[in-house]
Amino acid sequence: MPRLIALLVCLLAAGPLHAARASDLLVIANPAAGDVGPLSANAVAAMYLLRVTAWPNGTHVVPVNRELGSPMRTDFTAIVLKQDLTTLAAYWNEMHFKGKVPPLIQPSEAAMLAFVQKVPGAVGYIDAATAPVGVKVIGRFPNPSSRTTQP
Amino acid sequence: MPRPAGMSSGRAGWAAAVLLALICKAAVAQSEYEPGHGYNFSAFNVGGFADVTAAAATDSGRKALSVNAVSVFATGHIASVFNPFVEAQLTGFDIVQSGGVGGGRNGTLGIDRLYDDAILNDNLTLRVGKMLAPVGEWNEIHAAPLVLTATRPAVTFLNFSQYATGFSMLYSDSSGDLPDLQLYWQPHGEFLEKPVTPFAFATYRLVEGVHLKFPVSLLDQVGLSFQQTTDLRGTTQSLGGIDFQLNFGRIGLQGEASYSGLGGETRGFARRNEWGGYLAVSYALTNEVTAYSWYEQFTGRLNMSAARDLLWGVSFKPDPAVVFKLEYLQNVGGRPVNPTGVIASWSVLF
Repeated sequence: MPRLIALLVCLLAAGPLHAARASDLLVIANPAAGDVGPLSANAVAAMYLLRVTAWPNGTHVVPVNRELGSPMRTDFTAIVLKQDLTTLAAYWNEMHFKGKVPPLIQPSEAAMLAFVQKVPGAVGYIDAATAPVGVKVIGRFPNPSSRTTQP
Repeated sequence: MPRPAGMSSGRAGWAAAVLLALICKAAVAQSEYEPGHGYNFSAFNVGGFADVTAAAATDSGRKALSVNAVSVFATGHIASVFNPFVEAQLTGFDIVQSGGVGGGRNGTLGIDRLYDDAILNDNLTLRVGKMLAPVGEWNEIHAAPLVLTATRPAVTFLNFSQYATGFSMLYSDSSGDLPDLQLYWQPHGEFLEKPVTPFAFATYRLVEGVHLKFPVSLLDQVGLSFQQTTDLRGTTQSLGGIDFQLNFGRIGLQGEASYSGLGGETRGFARRNEWGGYLAVSYALTNEVTAYSWYEQFTGRLNMSAARDLLWGVSFKPDPAVVFKLEYLQNVGGRPVNPTGVIASWSVLF
């Protein structure tokens, strides 16, 4: 009996751990981006920092971000852009005043995916648990603090 | 000498405001709004900022509640060589005013920027039109919510052409490792020039310059500026300047210094050079509250002695796009450029 209880405890403990380990961050692009291979974090960051404005085939880059307070945005900012949220917000405000357009905002995983599917040149990110239907995966980054379910 | 607002500038300002309104009305929003990022409509983004100040100058006794600036700007992406940008700005409108001389200000509507960016590749952009001259970082990001203090140090606006109407080539390293470079050239007068303020010495006819910006981190940088101008009076000016912004944890340092040699028509000037500089220190008490101070010394062409100002204040930033500031400036020598007194401001970038 004690062995059975111990086994049950282990299974209960292992469940959440397995769920929390889970998935990577997928960087996705609209197929109009053309033949783009896997990109490094720096290459993705150059688009989100508004330094690279066109895909190799000339299509205009449209970076897309999640809404303020989104855990996915926090993870993406730290893992791929390698910045903190406050510094990045100040940077984008300055860029906006200088005439550049900061990343557009989509309020959910589904909205992000739909936007990138629809808009030529769009680049965004989703959790690997979400099927990247109708988009091109151009980067996959391990997410140590990943959450399997993203709203 | 001050002069009234030009009609052409005013009409153009209203035309730009109507154009911006039409863009807003005609288009359909595609993404959620985030403060400071503007509203996205199809291929256009419309944003701006507002700055309301309450000031009490102790020397003149002037007190005023003012709309210091309301700016609306729009940027569009039509094609890689057609990325238009326009900014219309209302400045200096006193809602309530008492004391001092000259009465209240009625505000001036004008075009701050109107240009097209032709993106040649990821590194090179050709800009044509009226733009901000890249002399120091403050002049390029002078929107109240983006700068450290409500009071602008004299050296950041007083002794150079703030605008250039003409052509500019911008080099930007896509990795952000190499310095950014901007060359600009204004062959004739300023397009839709703003009315000259009591502080501005000249209307610039020829403007040319170069600016180098060395990135240290995303927000920190060191910049070098050179600008050569000829004004309508015939005075030539060659300016060299340096500016920097550096952060060390909670402590921030920024400053700008410039020196100008004057030639050509210099009759009536007290000196044939100008120089000035400010050094600011800030300390982030919390994520939202920052205490700051700066000291500035500025010697203009009309004065033999340097104006020396000391400022200290505190800012509260509940959001990166919203800032409240309360500060006190004390003139400690020379003929003041900025008045001694208290100023409070509320500014928002939208």
